[in-house]
Amino acid sequence: MFDFVKTVLIALPKGFYTTFKHLFKKPVTLQYPKEKMPMAPRYRGLHYLEKYEDGSERCVCCGLCASACPADAIYMEPAENEKGERYSEVYEINLLRCIYCGFCEEACPEEAIFLGHEYEFSNDSRDAFIYTKGQMLANRPTKEKPFKKIIRKVRRIF
Amino acid sequence: MSDDSNNINLTIDGQQVSVPRGTTVLEAARSIRIDIPTFCWHPKLKPAGSCRICYVEIEKARTLMVSCATDVAPDMVVHTASEKVLQGRKAVLEFMLMNHPLDCPTCDKGGECDLQNLTFKHGVDDSRFDFKKYRHIRDKNSTFDDLRIGSEIIRNQNRCILCYKCVRANKDIFGEQDLGAYQRGNITEINTPPGEQVDSLYSGNLVEICPVGALTNTDWRYKIRVWNTQTVDSVCSYCADGCNLTLWKDKQKIYRATSRRNDNIDEGWICDVGRYGYQVPMAEDRLTTPLIKKGDSQVPATWEEALGLISEKFKKIKDERGGVCIGGLISPNLDSLSLHTFSKFFRMVLNSNNVDFRAGYKMLPEKADDLYSKLTSLPFKISDIEKSDLILVLDSDLTKEHPIVNLRVRKAVTQKNASLFALNPITTQTGGIATDEMVYNIGTLHALLNGLCISLIDQNLTQYENARDLKNKLSPNTIEEASRISGIDVARINSLAKAITEVKNISLIAGELLTSSINREQLSGAIINLCLLAGIFDKGQVGVLSQAANSKGAEKLAVMPHLSERSILKIKQIWDKYPDNDGLALDQMIRSSIKEELDSMFIIGSNLMLEYPDGAVVKEGLEKLDFLVVADICETETTQIADVVLPLSTWVEYDSSFVNLESVEQKFKAAIKPVGFSLPAYQIINKIAQGFKTPLFETIDELIPEIKTLLQPDDSQNSFENCAIEYIEEKQNPEFEIPLLITNELHHFGYFTEKSNSLSNFCSEAFLEISPGLAEKLDVKNGSIIRVESEVGKINLPVKISEYIDNDVVRAYRNFSASPVNILQMRKRNIDRVKLTVVEGT
Repeated sequence: MFDFVKTVLIALPKGFYTTFKHLFKKPVTLQYPKEKMPMAPRYRGLHYLEKYEDGSERCVCCGLCASACPADAIYMEPAENEKGERYSEVYEINLLRCIYCGFCEEACPEEAIFLGHEYEFSNDSRDAFIYTKGQMLANRPTKEKPFKKIIRKVRRIF
Repeated sequence: MSDDSNNINLTIDGQQVSVPRGTTVLEAARSIRIDIPTFCWHPKLKPAGSCRICYVEIEKARTLMVSCATDVAPDMVVHTASEKVLQGRKAVLEFMLMNHPLDCPTCDKGGECDLQNLTFKHGVDDSRFDFKKYRHIRDKNSTFDDLRIGSEIIRNQNRCILCYKCVRANKDIFGEQDLGAYQRGNITEINTPPGEQVDSLYSGNLVEICPVGALTNTDWRYKIRVWNTQTVDSVCSYCADGCNLTLWKDKQKIYRATSRRNDNIDEGWICDVGRYGYQVPMAEDRLTTPLIKKGDSQVPATWEEALGLISEKFKKIKDERGGVCIGGLISPNLDSLSLHTFSKFFRMVLNSNNVDFRAGYKMLPEKADDLYSKLTSLPFKISDIEKSDLILVLDSDLTKEHPIVNLRVRKAVTQKNASLFALNPITTQTGGIATDEMVYNIGTLHALLNGLCISLIDQNLTQYENARDLKNKLSPNTIEEASRISGIDVARINSLAKAITEVKNISLIAGELLTSSINREQLSGAIINLCLLAGIFDKGQVGVLSQAANSKGAEKLAVMPHLSERSILKIKQIWDKYPDNDGLALDQMIRSSIKEELDSMFIIGSNLMLEYPDGAVVKEGLEKLDFLVVADICETETTQIADVVLPLSTWVEYDSSFVNLESVEQKFKAAIKPVGFSLPAYQIINKIAQGFKTPLFETIDELIPEIKTLLQPDDSQNSFENCAIEYIEEKQNPEFEIPLLITNELHHFGYFTEKSNSLSNFCSEAFLEISPGLAEKLDVKNGSIIRVESEVGKINLPVKISEYIDNDVVRAYRNFSASPVNILQMRKRNIDRVKLTVVEGT
């Protein structure tokens, strides 16, 4: 008798209560391709290269990102532009090797490389994962992201 | 160390150390491996004490002392790492970084910068100076302040910490005045005098000793970060000095060459030819596959085809007409293994003595054991030059021929107070510091030396017993006559004779003009007479300097047709046989080819068409050959007429060794893999020998003991006898009266250095150097085109008026394939004479 009361009259409504409660709640799951989750400010996704306001590249090809990279995913070749400045003629990241640790953005003294929020870059060819400089410059988000400020705080760049 | 009274005992960081008087505290500390950081100190420069980073605390001293400029004193107590010292260093660094820009990411010195390293070690990570850094602005529109102060040097004054190392080295070591410090205080800048450039032969060293990135090379600029490169120990492959190099490479590319200090040879300085010469192997037009001539064109072929053809042809010639109908020429810029294999191939496989390495000489002496080879076998040490009290330079423009020997001579003269006498047909750069520079009439050196000998005898300055006897053998045999012929005053000859007898240690240096002269037996004899009379054999050294990186090695490894008895014995000892036929020297080979006695030639690494000092003869000779095989690194005038062209690897692509002018064998290592399908010369030769079913070696280890035996110095003492010297005036065509000298250009060596971009930036086209007096007479100015005409050929060259020529001699350069000046030369003439006609631009 006591068991009956315990299971049918208490536990069952209690369980249904939880079920029915969620019927009226907003669902947690996202309809992924249509909807996207907001990213954490310091999420480390696909890399991009930053530019100055006047459109020139920030990267001077110093090689610190490549030497900080634990996966040895970055390859670069410096060159001299017509002004006599140093810039990267070739800048490639092998996204299959990259472990998205963010050391490159931490090492960069020119604040040129960042790991953005982009994560949709699956492909069916390995070659497509060699991410070139042009792609990385094009991938640059248009408006200033708040996490840039956070990075500056973390690295205490003056 | 034996004399304790000269030693001083002191304590450094609790360790007792005993050093000779006059040592600095810094050197004393380094001798017991205590590290004191430095910027402005350099082992070969005088201390300047301008950077102050080497502070140490000396007890009882009022302040911190700069250790590089403080001499040790008895019972000194030094602390190199006390709290006060560290504080001092930190303060010095803070001041240095006050105006130093934070552009390490773009600075090529980043990664090997002394300032960067010391800042990490001692410095602070923040600056207390809030004001803006001072910027030496070059261009207001640019953020970059780089200024090109030399062909290959870029200066960024913002980065400079004013250690003055470059200015001091340039002035004290290289004797150049083209770099100085201007302005003062905060805005001091290192710069050239207005309108000038740093383009001396030693300019690359200034970059190398710069402790920060203020001076950078254009060849290394923005190419690669230093930590991505690997270093390889190498040896310079150009002149015979044999400077030690470090090559910086990554994968298949060499990025730069720096010096690897060897106090016996280079003391850490190298010339720009060696520094930028690594760019020749990096040239884009390297030969990568063998080529076989089919019809009028050369078509690419495989190694099997090419080697098969060569073996077949050589075999046919050997069987039908004998191995003596094949001639062999190898470049003395190749390594010992290749030279040895070449000689072995000709002597063992072809049974012929027709091997030679002297492409740039006129008629060579045709017997072994001559006076010249006696002189060259004498021991000579570059480091002993500075021990001499008197240096006698004969027939040699040292700066152009032996830049590092030149620096030693300069050191001996400027730092050790030796006196220098230069006897040359033209004024030289080295002669600028000479006590007396005797510019004699070209081709009269033996007359002048005779005069000197007579002066020694007449003034009774000699201890040589056969002096009177010798005097009768000399012609001219009066000092007045010698003076008239050579154009040097009697008084000057007498004073030189006196100077020679007064000193204790003499270095006699003779160079290229003597070595490649037709008269070299006479000249060698004259030198021997002088050495006997002045006793130079007993109280000094005689160096007849060889020219190319391995010329000495080629001599010792018997890559010559006529060998001395000793060499033949050695060869019989290692190979059990020696061809008994008479070999042909290069000059004879070309003559036999014209007479159609020689059927084939095998040339390795030599551009005979450009190098041989008689363009017309060599062209005829090579074209008459039935079968010409040329191995070289790039396409040249000689490979174009060859039947088979083989791609040759350069010295950076394999391990081997060079023998420098001191007869020191120096090993070098491969930096990169052979380019394309090219092979080292010794492998090419061995593959051809395999076609004869007689391979020369299985592994190169077999050759090493053979080379070692051949390179062993001769123990037997050479005895010298006086020689009869007769000066005969060379008949000349009155129409062609201006003597022509052909040498290497200052920034070039041989015919390939024009492929090096950096060296081409210094000088990329041939010119004719003439004296200001002659220019006035012809009414020409710099850049005017002049037609240079000799009895056999003519060529148009732009004029350059030079302060280094002050008589009617003109000088042309053999390094430029666009202007083959060898067509002006004749193999029988000792002195080539030309006629000058102005074409345009008066």
